[in-house]
Amino acid sequence: MADHEASKINHDNHLLLASRLFTYSDQPLLRLPYELLRKNFRTAHFTVEKDSTNFTKLLRETATASIDSKISPENVVQNLDTMLTRMRALKRKLSTYADEETRLYKQLDARVAHLRELSDMHSVDDVKYEAWSRKRLDRLLVDYMLRHNYNTSAQALANEREMHDLVDVETFLAMSKIKQSLQNGSVSEALVWCSNNKKELRKLQSNLEFLLRCQEYVELLRLNTPEKSIEAIAHAKKWLAPFQEQYPFTVREMAALLAHRPTDKDLPPKYAAWYSADRWDKLARAFVDAHNELLGLPTFPLLHTALSSGLSALKTPACHGTQTTTSSSQPGHSQTSMTTSVCPICSIELNELAKNVPYAHHSKSHLDNDLLLLPNGRVYGQAKLDEYAAKAGLADDKVKDLVTGEIYSRASLKKVFA
Amino acid sequence: MANPVTAMEALQKELDRLNRRPGLSATVDKVDQIIEMLIAAKDEIVKSGMDKYVASASVTKLQNPIKAKFEQINDDLKGVVATQRKLGKSLDKHFPVKDLPSEHDAMADQEPLINRAIAMHLLREGQFSVASTFIEETGDAATLDPVNTVIEGQEDQVSADDEYDDEPMDEDRDNDDEDDEGNDEDEYMSPLEAVTGSGLQQLKTLSSLQSHELEAKFSQMYSILQDIKSRNLLSAIEWARSNSVELEARGSNLEFELSKLQYVWLFKGPSVNGLPDDERNGTAGALLYAQQNFWRFGNRYTGEIQQLANAQIYACNLAESPYRHIFSTETAFADVASSFTREFCSLLGLSAQSPLYIAVTAGALALPLLIKYQQAARAKGTEWTTTNELAFETPLPEKMLYHSIFVCPVSKEQTTEQNPPMMIPCGHVLAKETLQRLLKGTRFKCPYCPAEGLEKDARRIMI
Repeated sequence: MADHEASKINHDNHLLLASRLFTYSDQPLLRLPYELLRKNFRTAHFTVEKDSTNFTKLLRETATASIDSKISPENVVQNLDTMLTRMRALKRKLSTYADEETRLYKQLDARVAHLRELSDMHSVDDVKYEAWSRKRLDRLLVDYMLRHNYNTSAQALANEREMHDLVDVETFLAMSKIKQSLQNGSVSEALVWCSNNKKELRKLQSNLEFLLRCQEYVELLRLNTPEKSIEAIAHAKKWLAPFQEQYPFTVREMAALLAHRPTDKDLPPKYAAWYSADRWDKLARAFVDAHNELLGLPTFPLLHTALSSGLSALKTPACHGTQTTTSSSQPGHSQTSMTTSVCPICSIELNELAKNVPYAHHSKSHLDNDLLLLPNGRVYGQAKLDEYAAKAGLADDKVKDLVTGEIYSRASLKKVFA
Repeated sequence: MANPVTAMEALQKELDRLNRRPGLSATVDKVDQIIEMLIAAKDEIVKSGMDKYVASASVTKLQNPIKAKFEQINDDLKGVVATQRKLGKSLDKHFPVKDLPSEHDAMADQEPLINRAIAMHLLREGQFSVASTFIEETGDAATLDPVNTVIEGQEDQVSADDEYDDEPMDEDRDNDDEDDEGNDEDEYMSPLEAVTGSGLQQLKTLSSLQSHELEAKFSQMYSILQDIKSRNLLSAIEWARSNSVELEARGSNLEFELSKLQYVWLFKGPSVNGLPDDERNGTAGALLYAQQNFWRFGNRYTGEIQQLANAQIYACNLAESPYRHIFSTETAFADVASSFTREFCSLLGLSAQSPLYIAVTAGALALPLLIKYQQAARAKGTEWTTTNELAFETPLPEKMLYHSIFVCPVSKEQTTEQNPPMMIPCGHVLAKETLQRLLKGTRFKCPYCPAEGLEKDARRIMI
């Protein structure tokens, strides 16, 4: 067993780990609402600026024209009505943004509070750590479900655990709507999203909009009528030509596509690919990637990241071994309450999943004190043998193997120096 | 991030500052005021009977206050932008964006297994309704999943080919291999698999039928735990009694512990346990209970039963008796509840705590080291390769070590099935490969003591 010095270092390590945790695994937790808050605010600001310029212009013109007697009082009232309609529309839009802002503030507050709980703990042995870590697991589960389109389950779990402010249900539902529309063969929703995020997408050098425009073009050609071909050419002039410099190869390929009919029997594969049905799945994936990159969301669920590192950290050579070790707790092998609880990697929930991950590296042994060798080759700590013998009601000079149940006399045991 | 506490405080400060700012709702109010001004101006013109001068005067005098309002709105918004920027800076400083390990996602192709683990986690946590929603939803997704359909299609192809193939030797050999694997799986069949059906295919998915059985098991567990919480041990005792053979084989004394606690609880009498004050309660009731039930345990717990009986003599001043520790029930109910949970789950082949919870918690603890290692590896230009063993240590709390680990003191390698621990005659233990390196002919000298030994005297041990 680790000596005192080692366990102290270990303890400090855990303290450090616990405190550094959220720099990694909880990164998007604050980033996302912050980015959304900024985005929401920018949109609101832009709307106000645009509407107020138009509004003051109309007001000024009305006033000047009225003073110069160029318009009648009736016209003035009419213009006032127009202004009222515009202001009411602005108010409606702003109220939506304001609600979103309130929601995001609430999220940020809740998330900062959630992370503060962790920063106030001093070690993973803190009694509050388990509750916190369970909450984190629930968060990761909701995130996983949302990313896999298990939306009903995600919402059910978020409701059950009352953790709406800690998960990004709205963001993912909006994303999944657009993704689904792409899978159903419609580009318009995704194009609206592109135009709402034009600047950011340009900064990321995303080709999503270009791909969507290409698809529109391909869909026109697919109809294979002279009118539609003319429409396709017009479409290409307007939407594809501007990308000439950025994607010269693809733009040329698009042009060449005009020379082929989608029904041609010997359509070269590279052209046939554009007509293929799996284009829509590819577009959906391209959209999801752009969406996640734009919002700083990891490319795959954090649950995957946490699981693969956790499975490895817990895994030992014994977990998938064919022979039972004395501390083994593999399901199906005989086991006793003395061989402690079932190891999570050996438990059937995770055993198969952990098969292909590397096992943990240890530079020090972790063994019981006062090891004794039984004649059958199995080694146990003396304390455990004593306890089990007492529980089994054995005579003082007998011990019982914790796994196999064989009974031996104490005289037949040998000390092990490991 | 050096100090998480100060970081969180700094962040909280910026957030509070932002929260105090008039946000968009203040802007909505100001737009409202503009609307009111417009309505007032319109009313004025209408009231004047569409007077030309009133009309031009009203619109003209609207201009400045409305312009001022818009300026106010703009100032508000600019102020918010500045504060937002500060929050952003604080985030950048305290929570710098770092790359998560993203080179390869080892879990990418494991969706069915992960789904199954999640479903079982939800069931064991007692989240039955979420679990059934999830199982239903993932079941639907599995049938709709294009990847699965493709694979099924391919399998159809293979079987169709088989029919027409004159020499299906290769396929036969493949099938044999698969059969062997199937047998291996059977060997590890746990009690739970016996309940829920076995085989690789079932391993990967959790159909609703299987989940109902699991759900039934876990709801039984939760109802018993609820009883224990409300100090009623009868359902737990009944469960332990009906599983006494399995429990005894495991060396568990749960049934006795429960019965003992029941004796103690009755012993304390109606003033403490709140049960009816009759002949089945109090010291007499406890004695009656003992007479009716303790015979089952034979002479396995003679000593303890004697103590329980002797305590009758001290009933009036138990607190000062030598038996007071047996009768303190402060943690006793929580203790039996946790050993009940452990035994209940063990009989199902499951660990007492959710493996998913433990794995994710361990993962979060190990992640910073994983990232650090990957960064170092990248800086050195070495590739991140997946081998059998992680290349760096990921220390976990003591309670997360479930197996004994033996690291050979000479080679510093963990022992495995291929390289097992060997005990040499002097009692020292070495890894097998180490021992072979030490051999001079058939003899070796212990690296730790002056003893010498023969290769044939070294024996493989199981730790």
